[in-house]
Amino acid sequence: MRTTTVDRSLRGPQTPPRPRTLIHPGAFNPVRIHSRSARQGRHFRLSLRPGASLYDALVGALAGAGVANASMTLLGGVFSHLDYCTAPPDPEHRRVVAYTEPIAAGPAYLIFGNATLGKTDAGGPLVHCHAAFCDRRGEPLGGHIIAQTTLVGPQPIPVLVTALDGFELRATYDAETNLRLLQPQGADDHDAA
Amino acid sequence: MMPPEIENGTMGRVAYARIGPNEDLVQGVEKLCLAEGFRNAFVRGALGSLVDACLYACDGGYRHLGGPAVEIVSLAGEVRAQPDGSLVATLSGVVADPQGRIHGGPFVPGANPICMTFEVTLEEWLPADGG
Repeated sequence: MRTTTVDRSLRGPQTPPRPRTLIHPGAFNPVRIHSRSARQGRHFRLSLRPGASLYDALVGALAGAGVANASMTLLGGVFSHLDYCTAPPDPEHRRVVAYTEPIAAGPAYLIFGNATLGKTDAGGPLVHCHAAFCDRRGEPLGGHIIAQTTLVGPQPIPVLVTALDGFELRATYDAETNLRLLQPQGADDHDAA
Repeated sequence: MMPPEIENGTMGRVAYARIGPNEDLVQGVEKLCLAEGFRNAFVRGALGSLVDACLYACDGGYRHLGGPAVEIVSLAGEVRAQPDGSLVATLSGVVADPQGRIHGGPFVPGANPICMTFEVTLEEWLPADGG
């Protein structure tokens, strides 16, 4: 019987590296998964308004549809200006990582993005968005998108919205990471351990 | 045995979760399904950060991307109940390293610890035959 030999030296490493457990500045929260559910998601197809900021285009249209909390998929499209940042280690060591100052990518083609609509702790709308995009040189990049200063280009950009009803997403202070983070709150109170 | 080409079903409940630091991305999604009583589900949206990322490569090996933080910029995948009584999440996506360069592939279970937070929305899938 013929057997096939595989030159393992041509392969990547076969054993994945052991995951690192990072030490955060605050007390460990024994609840690791904070979840809420609704009986059904409501879906909308949203077109982002040309010329508006990503924040205004999402928040304004969804407020008009009575949506305050949602999970969104941004389909591809052109932004006339895009600002983003990444999250390297915090030079001041107040947190494990900290966002950089905004990096201006200029005009950019958004390949794919995800965004969450929730509320700040004061109750105003909050958009958290991560996306992959190409800058004007065609370089593929990605990171945290600054929704307030990123501007929709000349054509509407489609977004699939899954509205979350019966509970809310609110940015609250998380002592473990020393950061304000979106957390689901209200209604069925059943945080999983 | 090959699964049928078409599986009829309907979307059921929708769940949103914040999964905390140092939890594994793939097993965290499986545990979210346990918490919510979902047996089959699709990812509807996800964003967050990883300490380091570990993605399968085409040659059967792995690609390790050093952080922190490696940002999750897109995620697609599903959770399926298995005949042996387990749940398996299969997730692939695109991540951005601390320099903003993007990389993609399937996430290796157990090797993608969450850095600050991971927000995920799952929609329950209810196969017509009861799954």
